[in-house]
Amino acid sequence: MLEPVHPWRLIDDGQEHPRVDLLIIGCGNILRGDDAAGPVLIRRLWESGPVPDRIRIADGGTSGMGVAFEMRHADRVLIIDASRTGAEPGTLFAVPGDIVAELPPAGAMGSHDFRWDHAIAFGRWLLGPLMPDDIDVLLIEGGSFAFGDPLSPVVDTAIERALEIVRQRIASLAESGDD
Amino acid sequence: MSSTVDLHVSPLGRVEGDLDVRVTIEDGVVTDAWTQAMMFRGFETILRGKDMRAGLIMTPRICGICGGSHLYKACYALDTAFQTFVPHNATLVRNIGQAVETLQSIPRYFYAIFAIDLTHEKYKASPLYEEACRRFSAYVGTSYQPGVVLSQKPVEIYAIFGGQWPHSSFMVPGGIMGAPTLSDVTRSHAILDNWKNAWLEKQWLGCTVDRWLENKTWEDILAWVEESDAHRNSDCGFFIRYALDIGLDTYGQGWGNYIAAGTYFDPASYDRPTIEGRNDALVVRSGVYANGSHHEYDQARVSEDVAHSFYRGDDVVHPFDGEQNAIDPELGAKQDKYSFAKAPRYDVPGVGRLPLEAGPLARQVVAGKPQTKDFQDYDPLFTDVMAQKGPSVLVRQLARMHEAAKYYKLVKNWLNQIDLHGSFFAEPTDPVSARGYGGTEAARGALQDWIVIEDGKIANYNVITPSAWNIGPRDKDAVVGPIEKALIGAPVYDLEDPVELGHVTRSFDACLVCTVHAYDGKTGREMSSFVINNMC
Repeated sequence: MLEPVHPWRLIDDGQEHPRVDLLIIGCGNILRGDDAAGPVLIRRLWESGPVPDRIRIADGGTSGMGVAFEMRHADRVLIIDASRTGAEPGTLFAVPGDIVAELPPAGAMGSHDFRWDHAIAFGRWLLGPLMPDDIDVLLIEGGSFAFGDPLSPVVDTAIERALEIVRQRIASLAESGDD
Repeated sequence: MSSTVDLHVSPLGRVEGDLDVRVTIEDGVVTDAWTQAMMFRGFETILRGKDMRAGLIMTPRICGICGGSHLYKACYALDTAFQTFVPHNATLVRNIGQAVETLQSIPRYFYAIFAIDLTHEKYKASPLYEEACRRFSAYVGTSYQPGVVLSQKPVEIYAIFGGQWPHSSFMVPGGIMGAPTLSDVTRSHAILDNWKNAWLEKQWLGCTVDRWLENKTWEDILAWVEESDAHRNSDCGFFIRYALDIGLDTYGQGWGNYIAAGTYFDPASYDRPTIEGRNDALVVRSGVYANGSHHEYDQARVSEDVAHSFYRGDDVVHPFDGEQNAIDPELGAKQDKYSFAKAPRYDVPGVGRLPLEAGPLARQVVAGKPQTKDFQDYDPLFTDVMAQKGPSVLVRQLARMHEAAKYYKLVKNWLNQIDLHGSFFAEPTDPVSARGYGGTEAARGALQDWIVIEDGKIANYNVITPSAWNIGPRDKDAVVGPIEKALIGAPVYDLEDPVELGHVTRSFDACLVCTVHAYDGKTGREMSSFVINNMC
């Protein structure tokens, strides 16, 4: 009979995995208007030139559970996503991960309703002591989430502002690494 | 005294209720059912007028779970339209990508979505109930944990070849982007072996992959369960014993007619992909099984009805000509329309248009068709299981889990065949006007694209997903769709908590369009202290 083991022990396959100082993940569905903000930001960051070696950028898309697994090899995580909180479109929120983490309903596991806010809570279950405790979330309030809509101009502008914040974060990390 | 009630449920328990089910229950048994997809999936409309390669970027975004399958068939649709040459190495890597996504889905679906319902208190009279709870409870179950955690392993291989999973676009007409190295291949072997050792053999089978694959009949499976404690107490052995005890073999039958588009290609047989040459090049074969007979699959026999779907337009429309003129659901309801899914049908020679079930059971039924080529999968197991047991929730699950062993062996074999010094891409010439068709088997069934290219742009695009086959509503002749049919006859013991409807619906692993993933857990007011620009 199999005995219970901690999930984070199960995940160890004995392989070497490079660690990163910072994992930047953009989440959202690019087919749905302003929900594309996270992946679009990642795309613009990637197109604007290389990021330092110990920083990894990823397009999390709509795979919430994938985000949880990605966090395993990072010391810090920055998640970028669109929000639909009722605020003015284009509003930027910088939120500590703790504030928004929430376990998904059991039946939604592995389904389309599994988002990164679930992923943070799920990641604690999955990764236990391996879970990075420095998780920040940058939210960009969207206006339209209809199928096939383009980005709203105000969200497009907010993505550029968010990009500045992300670049500052990368720069300050690179500086502290030089010490 | 008989009693009749109408019940509306969201058996998949989704926040936005994108699949709702309405059933009529008489004396505790479902007598009629309506599956209602309540969200418009408009990606075909988005693709019209776009660059002809846009399907490679857009369709993998349809789904955060089977994005790799979307890429695979979108790419073959272009290969047939472009008349490409696909180097053998590229075919192998594409096969590997498609298969590892399915290998991920098998345990993740089973533990995270299906098996948690097996802990329902309805079953507490079963002598195996406590053990089921110990194993399958969400988050804490002793089998749930390794099942969910290790499910990620196969798609680590996808990320090695494709850069990332699930939304990669590394498959392109003429091959794949990038060329793997020796360390990519050896690492992939190691990851797959780890998954096979730690989950498939240790946890699921309690025996070697090869021992399991010796089972050729239902009697073999029953004998296998009793052969040793290791088999009996494996998750597979336990699931079979428990499912038989709680009657999962007694309902959820459906039509008993099946479609497989087939997937994975023999590299030498499909280096010049065409629609006509496709069937003979498939490793996991295509086919239609209807009213007890096998038929060759022909995409030209597929059509869709909108008589009960929230669209304007004609019925019996082939996907090359399909349109998505959505109408207001409230208006549609007055015309007896009730779903945003269309109703796909297949014109079976000599029989007529039928609704067909897609998925692993369909694939395994088709795998029993007499073999045509050496490299093609022939497997008689489910021909016998169906003859002995007929379809049910249990048999659908067994077919799905059986594929873990089969596809593991295929991936190992393909990894061994990659020639690291060979070519992975051959530049194609863009057509001005062309038609293409690409199909695959996502974990949950036949997934196919039809593309019409005119003047170098997409003139029309159509995706028929496995869930469209399965959750599709009534057609123009009011014939119910596969899940509707499977729900009819299901027992419902507790109207307040109809777990049986969840078992049936989930046994199809229905996967709907990805919804908005924007964060809406808290209101803007609650979040106001975190605003960092001056918008509000």
